[in-house]
Amino acid sequence: MDDRLSFIADVPLFSGIPERELEEVARVMRTVELDAGDLLFREGEEADGLHVLEQGLVQACRRLPGGGELEYARLGPGDVLGEIPLLDGGLRSGSVRALEPTRAVFLARADFTALVSRLHPTAFAIKRQILKHACGRLRLSHGALAESLDGRSQAAEPSSASLPLTEAGPGDFPDGRPPDGAYVLRLPFFRSYGEPEFAELLESCSLAVVPAGRPILQEGEAASSCYVTLNGAVEEVIRRGSDSVRVRLCGPGRAFGYVGLIDGLPSTVSIMTRERSLLLVVPGGRFEALFNGGTISSYVFFNAVERDLMTGLRQSQAPHARLAAAR
Amino acid sequence: MCRVVGYLGRPLLLDSVLFATDSSLARQTYSPRMMATFLNLAGFGMAAWDDRSERPEEPFVYKVTSLPVFDRNLKCLAEKVAARCVIAHVRGVTYSEHEVLSQTNLHPFRFPGVKVTLAHNGHLREFARMRYDLVGHVHPSFVRHIEGTTDSEWIYALLLSQLEDPFGSPEADEIADAAVRSLRIIREIRHKHEIGTSSPVNLFITTGTCLVATRFSFDYGWYPEGDTMLETDLPYVSLWYTLGEEYRERDGEWQMGTSDRPRSLLIASEPLTTDTSRWLEAPEYSILSASLVDGNVEATISDLDP
Repeated sequence: MDDRLSFIADVPLFSGIPERELEEVARVMRTVELDAGDLLFREGEEADGLHVLEQGLVQACRRLPGGGELEYARLGPGDVLGEIPLLDGGLRSGSVRALEPTRAVFLARADFTALVSRLHPTAFAIKRQILKHACGRLRLSHGALAESLDGRSQAAEPSSASLPLTEAGPGDFPDGRPPDGAYVLRLPFFRSYGEPEFAELLESCSLAVVPAGRPILQEGEAASSCYVTLNGAVEEVIRRGSDSVRVRLCGPGRAFGYVGLIDGLPSTVSIMTRERSLLLVVPGGRFEALFNGGTISSYVFFNAVERDLMTGLRQSQAPHARLAAAR
Repeated sequence: MCRVVGYLGRPLLLDSVLFATDSSLARQTYSPRMMATFLNLAGFGMAAWDDRSERPEEPFVYKVTSLPVFDRNLKCLAEKVAARCVIAHVRGVTYSEHEVLSQTNLHPFRFPGVKVTLAHNGHLREFARMRYDLVGHVHPSFVRHIEGTTDSEWIYALLLSQLEDPFGSPEADEIADAAVRSLRIIREIRHKHEIGTSSPVNLFITTGTCLVATRFSFDYGWYPEGDTMLETDLPYVSLWYTLGEEYRERDGEWQMGTSDRPRSLLIASEPLTTDTSRWLEAPEYSILSASLVDGNVEATISDLDP
């Protein structure tokens, strides 16, 4: 138990969390041992928790239509597998096989969910770390996509710089007024919101109507706001020379622009409106307060960002698979 | 909203796409996995090209307003007919007394003397305001063939009218060009009438030797207040595909077999198996064009911005 505690305390995913708070997590973890060739888990299985590799080497692969596999990662001691399903469950997006004798510790989703349901501060601290880690995963995924485009590593020059958005007025809305709560609360981002939480969020945010084709954030720029699409659609794109790949389309109820607000790094994608769009703009300072806060409103916002990031991470795999299948 | 399957490649037993898999088209009538609100209960239609049949350039066409899952005749046929190309469609409509359930509204559409066949997954909101402007863009000989009440049949007539020789056998790229021109005309008419509401147009178009599919929506993300289709349209209407040697069951799993050059292509509104790992999602705003060339499927996907 002490060995396990000191091991996980050194894992970046759990860094910054006091050891005494990690004790409860370490207590519910268990050890998994694999021989070379053994499967840790199989693509398509129900994801039941998180593994931290203590020793050994594993490969992560995804099956391709028409046969064959795409190896998308090799992982060793200290690396973490399944942190995303720890939050949102779902099915395993790839298979993981040991390439040599391997040992891992396993945190079951059911145990972690029990911590979260008690609003245990450690659980939220781990969640924040997982989201930062997920941002790193997203950046790696974008980097690999950029590499596959035309073999160039430099971002294409933006066709036009992103400009500050102007706040929407009554004339910008089809009915002269913004969409009502009955509509907004049906959107995925606001699924956990009630009328009071949404009204409170609106007070510190603004609405912007943006024409189609308008840049919002360019690759390499620092994020200043988080946005949620209320109407229309926004796309995240990576461009290299004349090649480009759309990483994600953010339709109604999807958020974007927040990755840099979580990890403080510049954007790995260019973001622009695909359709004329109505956006909820959450200023960077307000995002930080909500993301790190300890109130019910903060938890609701945090969970909405968490769900959106998990969705984005899963969606970021689709262009990889398409490109691999086309080769 | 509807569900559609398109196939091109090595002869494939119809049962493989209509009934055999755990998310087959027949199951998608009552249990679609990627539609939130509506079931597809308004009828079934299919066109299938079988090389071993009489006049193989003509498809076998089957349309019924009943549900395929209860259709013993269809099941028997599906276990006997192997086709190189198929378009099959289950129709989904809003639950309203204003909807017309009839054979004339069933997809795929194929006018007499024409080789191009089309099925549609989507709907043009406020179509009634656009209908009469479309007449000017549709060849009169096709206007008189329109028997049903759907926007889809008008889209079909419009697309035929954009082909240089609508009675010929256009290649995939000609069909793709005609689809883009048709969408452009619809966009112009929508603009004229200031229609700016979300309207998905996922088309499946074939001649029996090529297959073109679109994943597209006009003004995606804008909905009329209190719209009954909101939950269905919030996610971009889906389109998936898988390609390889042939589609068959291996070790209990339905999947495409490995091949250096693909010989079979399946396109569907949603995967035909609950395990989606052998399927790829087509990008939003895209057009997929495929042709059968010397037994191989040559396919491309490009951005669609009419």
